[in-house]
Amino acid sequence: MGIWFYVLLAFAAGLLVGLSRQINGRLSLSTSPLESSFWNHAIGFVVLCVVALSIGWSHPQDGLADIPLTAYAGGAVGVVFIASSSWLIARIGAAQTAVLVIAGQMVSSVILDIAMGTAGIAWARTLGVTLILAGIFYGRRARD
Amino acid sequence: MMQNTTSKTHLILIAFLTGGLLTIMTLFNGRVALGGGAIFSSWVAHGVGTVAAIIALIVLFRRRPKGGTRSRAPFWAYLGGISGALTVILTSTTVNTSLALSGTIALGLAGQMVFGLGADVLGLFGLPKRRLAPRELVSFAMICAGSLIIIYLGRV
Repeated sequence: MGIWFYVLLAFAAGLLVGLSRQINGRLSLSTSPLESSFWNHAIGFVVLCVVALSIGWSHPQDGLADIPLTAYAGGAVGVVFIASSSWLIARIGAAQTAVLVIAGQMVSSVILDIAMGTAGIAWARTLGVTLILAGIFYGRRARD
Repeated sequence: MMQNTTSKTHLILIAFLTGGLLTIMTLFNGRVALGGGAIFSSWVAHGVGTVAAIIALIVLFRRRPKGGTRSRAPFWAYLGGISGALTVILTSTTVNTSLALSGTIALGLAGQMVFGLGADVLGLFGLPKRRLAPRELVSFAMICAGSLIIIYLGRV
């Protein structure tokens, strides 16, 4: 398969993230952000059960024993993440939510990389974080 | 129902911290994926999340605001989880191509921005339409540029 097919797939993944956030946001208007997060996880779980049964895990299962129990907490963090996104999108819009969540993700991942000693290029990290923070402060004036 | 009781600065901060949650979640789920694969990891995260959400709903039930003036949600509003679950199928495919993780994240960022801008301008799926000020668009471009620099140049 040509690379452009995969470029399209990766782009579509981003569209799907936006789509689910929009739909969850609409649900939270009629219910609550937490209820919206519940449905997102429950329906997603059913879909992934079907996917798993039809295509298999396609991964050796002998690595399962090595997974630390604490790693499974990711699902609980996800509940707060989806609830928070659903709450935000109704208040600041889809584009704002997307860009600010990305900003927070990028800055925190740089902090995490530095904390964990992941090798990185200092000037690029500094420039990236500076541009992001400057962008947030510049845009803030338009929103106030 | 949507009064501006929370100041914009608070909303910006909450959104920024929500992105931090995403980093923590990726760290945890990535560890599970290391042992069981991306689809297994997402499956487990959705299962654990469903249980966690039920517990949280029970604990917070008494504090739930009364929904007297709320409109009923349309049927499709319950289906956001479908596209969320499908995302992992796409990204777990593309990370194993020459796009790698950085290309997958960068293109995902582009997809999110295109959807977000379109959704705001058109008011998609029952959420309010929003006009975007030129200043906001410049702000978005700066944040995206900074993100791309981190994605492509931030690591050795």
